[in-house]
Amino acid sequence: MANEKANATETRSNTPLLIIGIVLVVALLGGWWFYSSSKSKPAANGSTNSNSVKPPKSNTIPPNAPPGAQPPNQQGSASAAVTLEEFADFQCPQCALQQPNMDEIKSMYGTRLRFIFREFPLDIKAHDKSYDAAVAAEAAGMQGKFWDMQNILFKNQKAWTDNDNFKQMWKDYAQKIGLDIPKWENDMAGLGAKGRVNADKERGKFIGLNGTPSLFVNGNLVRVEDMTVESLKTIVDAELAKAAAPQGQPASNAAANANAASSAQ
Amino acid sequence: MSTAATHRSISWLPVAAAIVALIGLTDAIYLTIHHYTAAPVPCGEGFDCEMVLNSSWAEIQGIPLAAFGAASYFIAFSLALLTAFGDNRMWKLFGILTTLMAAFSLFLIYVQAFRIHAFCQYCLLSAATTFTLFILYSVSIFLRPRASV
Repeated sequence: MANEKANATETRSNTPLLIIGIVLVVALLGGWWFYSSSKSKPAANGSTNSNSVKPPKSNTIPPNAPPGAQPPNQQGSASAAVTLEEFADFQCPQCALQQPNMDEIKSMYGTRLRFIFREFPLDIKAHDKSYDAAVAAEAAGMQGKFWDMQNILFKNQKAWTDNDNFKQMWKDYAQKIGLDIPKWENDMAGLGAKGRVNADKERGKFIGLNGTPSLFVNGNLVRVEDMTVESLKTIVDAELAKAAAPQGQPASNAAANANAASSAQ
Repeated sequence: MSTAATHRSISWLPVAAAIVALIGLTDAIYLTIHHYTAAPVPCGEGFDCEMVLNSSWAEIQGIPLAAFGAASYFIAFSLALLTAFGDNRMWKLFGILTTLMAAFSLFLIYVQAFRIHAFCQYCLLSAATTFTLFILYSVSIFLRPRASV
């Protein structure tokens, strides 16, 4: 009798833990199922994931797309068989997170890869500083310091995004990377830097982008789930192998190479 | 009202809290998954979910805020359930947690209103569930002089 009572008490005391366990398992399994089904849907129409990335209208860069800023901000070799083109927004958290991946890929392939950075400041209120940030980076580029500015803006994204005094912060960054400040400020106010941003944006809009980061390898959209170093490496290796094949350069490279006339920065 | 009667009248609070916490948990899991898949969320008129969910406020060190929310709701659910099954010590922990959650929700509403200038209905639902949890706890405190939960 006493044993039965003790067993009943024990069973009762285990009930909430059992329910908590069931809820945890249901939450995890349900979450995983929902994640898998959500992920497979965009994959089917060539879309993407991640923070601010949304599927572009096209999975490839149309050959008649506007060329974007000339010369583009590029690294690696302008004659490389593989072109990796990134459209990014300086206020996009995912773009900042993507930076280390891009740096790793760039250093991995060196001159076997042509990397192009395109400005694509999103027209949303939450990214109210991203257009100006893009102009600031382009103005730095006019002194040959685009990559330094791009790097410092992404690295400190959270700090200046949340600061009302962000322009002073950019000025501090400009000083830090050794820019001629009066010239940089003058270039920011001028049409040159803005024109470059607008040209890149026009290219992105033509492709149908409405989110960032968006990556294209030889003109083909990279799905967000493939925006890891490993997956990018697989894609780039495949393109390099294609280029090395007797058939020569794949047609899909043509679009991305529309800008090839320009020289590396 | 006798102590026993008062006890009976407020003993539903932890049960209600557990149910509300489950609603919050579902909402937070949905938003967490959205963060990782970027599957577009249906957004009502007058809301701009994408702007809020894609803002720099939506994550901490790359971890979506919604994931922290899901963890908080799960803990709140567990504490409320344990209380419902008689472990009254858990209700105090529940109170501390929901107070912090409600304060953070207020901050997030401020961010949506004055920093992002847009609202997301799922974030507002989360805030509503958090405030409900806080209110349920406050009701139990209000009734405490006569009886504890």
